[in-house]
Amino acid sequence: MKLAVLNNAVPFVQGGAEHLADALSAKLCEYGHQALLVRIPFRWEPPSKILEHMLACRLMRIPGVDRVIAFKFPAFYVPHEDKVLWLLHQFRQAYDLWGTALQGLPDSLEGREIRDCILTADNSYLTEVNNIFTNSEITSGRLKTFNGLKSEVLHPPLLNPEQFSCSEYGNYIFAPGRINEAKRQQLLVESMEFCRSPVKLIVAGKAERKEDAEAIRAIIHKRGLQDRVEFIERFITENEKVEWFSRALACAYIPYDEDSYGYVTLESFLSRKPVITCVDSGGIHELVKDRATGRVVASDAKDLAGAMDALYQNKAGARRMGEAGYDLAQTLDISWDRVIRVLTS
Amino acid sequence: MRVIVATSVAPFVDGGSTQIVAWLHRQLQASGHDVELFQLPFSESYNEILDQLLALRLLDLTQHGDRLIAVRTPSHLLKHPKKVTWFIHHYRSAYDLWGTKYQTLPNTPEGLACRQAIINSDNIALRECTRLFCNSTVVKDRLQRFNQIAAEVLYPPLLDPARFRSGPYGEYLLYFSRLTHHKRQWLAIEALRYTRTPVRLIIAGCPDPGLEPYVFDLHRLVEKYGLEQRVSILSRWISEDDKIELFANCAAVLYFPFDEDSYGYPSLEAHAARKAVLTTIDAGGTNELIVNGNNGLITPADPELIAEGMDALYNDRSMAQRMGESGEQRVRDLGINWDNVVARLLA
Repeated sequence: MKLAVLNNAVPFVQGGAEHLADALSAKLCEYGHQALLVRIPFRWEPPSKILEHMLACRLMRIPGVDRVIAFKFPAFYVPHEDKVLWLLHQFRQAYDLWGTALQGLPDSLEGREIRDCILTADNSYLTEVNNIFTNSEITSGRLKTFNGLKSEVLHPPLLNPEQFSCSEYGNYIFAPGRINEAKRQQLLVESMEFCRSPVKLIVAGKAERKEDAEAIRAIIHKRGLQDRVEFIERFITENEKVEWFSRALACAYIPYDEDSYGYVTLESFLSRKPVITCVDSGGIHELVKDRATGRVVASDAKDLAGAMDALYQNKAGARRMGEAGYDLAQTLDISWDRVIRVLTS
Repeated sequence: MRVIVATSVAPFVDGGSTQIVAWLHRQLQASGHDVELFQLPFSESYNEILDQLLALRLLDLTQHGDRLIAVRTPSHLLKHPKKVTWFIHHYRSAYDLWGTKYQTLPNTPEGLACRQAIINSDNIALRECTRLFCNSTVVKDRLQRFNQIAAEVLYPPLLDPARFRSGPYGEYLLYFSRLTHHKRQWLAIEALRYTRTPVRLIIAGCPDPGLEPYVFDLHRLVEKYGLEQRVSILSRWISEDDKIELFANCAAVLYFPFDEDSYGYPSLEAHAARKAVLTTIDAGGTNELIVNGNNGLITPADPELIAEGMDALYNDRSMAQRMGESGEQRVRDLGINWDNVVARLLA
């Protein structure tokens, strides 16, 4: 089958969605299909740009392909007679984030009109697709609540799940991933000041804005955490990541209100490491249950410190939770076999 | 530098621009630049064109990158404060093919309006560029004639010419190209029957999808003239190693497609292997690269006259060698190399 994978793109920014799009394209080819990754520029500031990009997507054509698989707003508006959605998230500023601090859209006449346009367009254009799959229960739930649309959850697999392993339960908590405000690495670093055990923290990833990296460095410096926190501010390779997971005591992943459980959670479980997360972290709760497969605590530096200390002092407990996470990951039927079968049938 | 490369693509169809873009991407990265590639699908159905032109105007990359390099039409419609276009060809149905049998736009008021909109949008978008390059003087002349805009010729190099090597100047002439009618491999067979020397001919390349009948026709032609002992047709994908060997050991290279815009990669590959190129007056872009008697021969597209050229290259192999060596020099003199391309696109 000839397929096009449609995703939005902000130039020079790489995140989970970009990696998933790359991986899906590569895997489709591996399974004998032909795949073209189509990245469509998207800009949402000022908000009037949102409407222009919605229109642009509607005006685009994808000739010569049997099916398109679309990931995101507004790429999923591109017309095609055989279109499947693998929805990572809608334009959340118009939905669940509307009325919160992260609303983004102005609460003005214009902002409300733009929001209405997005809702109307979603309601009319998302019904023209063959099938809607989503990356998580949360995304499916929102689609049901806000648009009355049914969908099926299709968990995104890791590119190479077999590479993860566990060699020991070491002395550090590992926190990989893009560095930004919503991922709350700052809070994680702050919590180290309250740890009573000698547990250490490794934060590794590229900062989206240099302010975010500077803020973390400032906290380390101001609280004298140089010996306790290692901050590796760059893209880390797959091999490095595997290695750091393998020797970690546990993983910390505390984003604010994520839609899905996140790759980090899956990687941690496949490395047999428990995950520390927060009650307000969102989709991670699909997999992380307190004291069963990790720790779920308040988004508070002292509570996080308590969870880290407890794991350090009870490595047998950390191992038990990590093993439980590994077992859970095995039951989820998260595999490329399944994803390719479902998306091409 | 942060560089955005944008092009239009016909999904799963490889054309000349596919390679130029892929190679440009690699060379920019190799020069230490941060590169983002946008390959935007484009339907050539005339009733979908205007929508897609508008889409390109609306997609906004203006906040990103120190430079936008637009390659295949109509990607230059994207807006950017530092936009450079490396123009490969027009949407030719609206330009030089309008009024010919190759015109795909209908001859209706609607088709005419569509043509005018394409020309108008090119006129506006090409003038937004801080610099406008094109791949050949043929295209430069068309830009001047149809859009009244001046462009600088920037010749597209091979990805890695150093891979080619020069072996003995052997007994055969090589025609290495896609097997398709307008490349005129048949003309090489027609010419071979008029040769007076035992020079052999190797035709090699992949048939275009659905063009197997063209390959049968070539075989029939060989039979018709009883040239089975002197012509080999390798109608398949040829590995890079085999290709390099074919070029390394030939006496010279034939390349005479009908009226192409650019000199074509086979000409550059020939020169990379220090081989002369035999081409025809009506082949188009090859005439920019080949100087008759210097780095190859240019004859009228007449089988008997082509045959004379074939014999001359066979009989005087030291001349063939001299011309091949001049070819390598000619490529250098014209600045056909990636350092030059990258420097000019980013200047």
